[in-house]
Amino acid sequence: MNRKIKALRFTVIAVLLLGLAWSGGAQTVKLPPHEKIVLKNGLTLLLMEKHGVPIVNFAAIVKAGSVADPAGQEGLASVTAGLLRKGTAKRSAQQFAADLDFIGAEFSADSGADYTAISSEFLAKDVDKGLDLFSDALLHPAFAQAEVDKLLAQEIDGIKAAKDEAQSVALNYYYGYLFNKHPYGRPVGGDELSLARIKRDMIAKFYEANYTPGNLILAVAGEFNSAQMRAKIEQALGGWTAKPSLLPDIIAPTFVKGKKLLLVDKPDSTQTFFVLGNIGTAENDPNRVAIRVVNTIFGGRFTSDLNEALRVESGLTYGAEAFFDSRKEPGAFAIYSFTKNESTVQAIDLALQVLAKLHKDGVTAEQLASAKAYLKGQFPPSIETSEQLSKRIAANEFYGLGDDEINQLEVRIDAVTSEIAKQVIAKHFPEDNLAFMLIGKASEIGPGVKKYATQQDSRKISEPGFWPGAK
Amino acid sequence: MNRTRLGLRGSLLVTLLAAGPVAALGQSEAQQFPVATKTLKNGMKVLVQTDHSIPNIALYIFYKIGSRNERPGTTGLSHFFEHMMFNGAKKYGPGDLDKAMEANGASNNAYTTENVTVYQDWFPRSALNLIFDIEADRIQYLSFDPKKIASEREVVASERRTSVDANNGGILDEQLKATAFIAHPYQWPVIGWMSDIEHWTMDDLKHHFEMGYAPNNATMVVVGDVTPEEIFQLCEKYIEPIPQHAPPPPVTTVEPEQLGERRLTVRKQAELPLLMIGYHVPQTNSPDFYALSVLRTVLVQGESSRMYQRLVDKDQIALDVTASQSPAFDPTVAIFAAQPKEGVDPQKCEAAIYDELDKVKKTPISDVELEKAKNIRLVEFYHQMRTINGRGNTIGTYEVFFGDYRKLFDAEKNYGAVTKEDVQRVAQKYFDANNRTVATLIPDNREQGSAKQ
Repeated sequence: MNRKIKALRFTVIAVLLLGLAWSGGAQTVKLPPHEKIVLKNGLTLLLMEKHGVPIVNFAAIVKAGSVADPAGQEGLASVTAGLLRKGTAKRSAQQFAADLDFIGAEFSADSGADYTAISSEFLAKDVDKGLDLFSDALLHPAFAQAEVDKLLAQEIDGIKAAKDEAQSVALNYYYGYLFNKHPYGRPVGGDELSLARIKRDMIAKFYEANYTPGNLILAVAGEFNSAQMRAKIEQALGGWTAKPSLLPDIIAPTFVKGKKLLLVDKPDSTQTFFVLGNIGTAENDPNRVAIRVVNTIFGGRFTSDLNEALRVESGLTYGAEAFFDSRKEPGAFAIYSFTKNESTVQAIDLALQVLAKLHKDGVTAEQLASAKAYLKGQFPPSIETSEQLSKRIAANEFYGLGDDEINQLEVRIDAVTSEIAKQVIAKHFPEDNLAFMLIGKASEIGPGVKKYATQQDSRKISEPGFWPGAK
Repeated sequence: MNRTRLGLRGSLLVTLLAAGPVAALGQSEAQQFPVATKTLKNGMKVLVQTDHSIPNIALYIFYKIGSRNERPGTTGLSHFFEHMMFNGAKKYGPGDLDKAMEANGASNNAYTTENVTVYQDWFPRSALNLIFDIEADRIQYLSFDPKKIASEREVVASERRTSVDANNGGILDEQLKATAFIAHPYQWPVIGWMSDIEHWTMDDLKHHFEMGYAPNNATMVVVGDVTPEEIFQLCEKYIEPIPQHAPPPPVTTVEPEQLGERRLTVRKQAELPLLMIGYHVPQTNSPDFYALSVLRTVLVQGESSRMYQRLVDKDQIALDVTASQSPAFDPTVAIFAAQPKEGVDPQKCEAAIYDELDKVKKTPISDVELEKAKNIRLVEFYHQMRTINGRGNTIGTYEVFFGDYRKLFDAEKNYGAVTKEDVQRVAQKYFDANNRTVATLIPDNREQGSAKQ
């Protein structure tokens, strides 16, 4: 691989010297060709032919996620998405499921913070049936009262079931605490209290306001002919009436100043699950590639500093990692691990020491070269399938990122120097200002963890909700 | 049990084995995905599939050793050993393996089941020689550093606390198997009982290595940006010189026929109860495999499935209902699991499951259901085959559990041959009250201390 890094660097220089003569030589993987069409009603369509496996994947983005939930109605975007397949103007929920399953197709609709993702996949031979189901759910959901009641009851119980598995709710608590009352702190799926308040008319209103052609990005990838697919989609979705679209107005969240700690009591816990960090970065942060390189070294792979210290060298945990959950506005930066009750303080101390060492020592040339090779080597399988590709180009379109996000990735990775890494560490890996969230047995770990923060908060896991705004 | 899977933000890896091997395709697909094979002089079988669509390679090594080859007192040893395979050999000492791989753009993982221990490498073409160097080094010269053993023991204990203590499904599954099997080694958990994790010795590890890690006990699958010729050459250089030796002794214990329903309860702090029902079913290479697979699909796969429609949609007594049957060399259990809604007695879910089973026993499924099940299999096949990683795992699973990777390409024929009457017959034969073990988790939210009394 050392040879390859040198070769790539040489190529970069060559591009500079020879200009366009070398285009295409620097990058081993590129996005397959694709086209963007804006339909007359404002719908953005992206088409990418990918031949080989006889599958077609639809990835749609509706530009309304949990940030569009009105206060007190957390989970509204998520419930609206979940109801799309639960009955339409011409199909009952049961009929939709029967038609979908008969061709072995998949359909899912899930909200994130920034947007709602609707995804469907089927065999290429079933494209007409698949598109009919997809557009039926998207354009004509019925929101029948019985289905609304059923789904809301399931979602509330689903949250209770999730609370039985600490790690599946750790981020809900962390985000609620970190973002405080900013919309990014809201639980995307809602909580036991907010879901109980949601009514059918709120769902219908949310749908009317947010599901519009102008708010939709549809990416299609797989085994098809673009001209034919375009005609099919224009026929299915072109008649959807254009409406003015209101996008949620969102401001950047406030960076946590000082140190605060939330302890969520789960009295039967044999381990403490902990997350700590601060506000991270936006999807379009100019430093995003350098941050990825540095975080790979710090907490993004098996031999990362964090995993080496907490798992490999000390056996304190099965795993430790750090990540940036980037969004349209800055999302979260988080360090995550878990350890048995008795070693809670030892593990958190160690995580903080690893962070301090990153600031003090920076990264070595060897680490930098290794992280670059790792990111480049592991990248191609992330854009291997039609599903990965359609989701990727739809998200890039949403965040205003061009194809160079992928096609120039290797060059951008190679451009990260130890000097840039140093700047990135100082700016994006907060050390003195931190939010801590711990789920564990409070009676055992509570006294020891007091030292981490001046502001102390606590709640019981059985208490409804995840965040300070929950009421 | 995976080597690394944190699971905070959804699963980091797709565990393809969880749903069992599924496939359906014919000769045209067999030509679409050609496989070259070679058996090395030391007995290791190597399967190669070329795919140049991305400049990467997935390499799988399946060792036919798992928790079924263990004994009471050292349960979990296969899984612990899987961890030790990353902790140093002769050329690549402790920590060197991961560092060398990641510095060359490669990543790895591994998983252990009751039946097999599987090592996975994902890497760019440029790391091909390195990977073979590493794999050959650790198959031959694994080292056993007491310090590494001590710290890895703690890692596995942490893994157990996460996957069992903090996971109601994990606890109940473990208790169910411990009750459903009274003789066969499938009775103990792959990760091992906590007291065994704390007590196995260096000698136990060495014995396990000698027993299971012979080239003639392994199958290698390589898929991606390679040619069969270059892989066979690398095998000749790195793998073929490794001497063969006796494979693990056969597991001769046969689980005796279950003579009546078994029931167990787990009481612990929890928000919601949980229900699992296990039925003894035959091993993967049994002729009834395909009919059982169609039956599971009809019962639980998709929102149009019978049990989803009944328990989740119509009666609204459960959040979800699933059925699973893992690949197995020996007769195993098919497990139905339901997550009751709050306030619903798990016995209501239990009764509804039996009612649906009775229906398929009394009346054959419909033609539409049979065709739907076959269509779902076909799509699942393409899902598995759409990535080089999925193909590596699927080809290897078929080779190891069905005895021949070509069974993958016979699957359409085998599923096509399943009739409504076959489905009815297997339902009657296996899903009988005397053949089941019922496990129920009941929330007990009294203050700690009193709960223990």
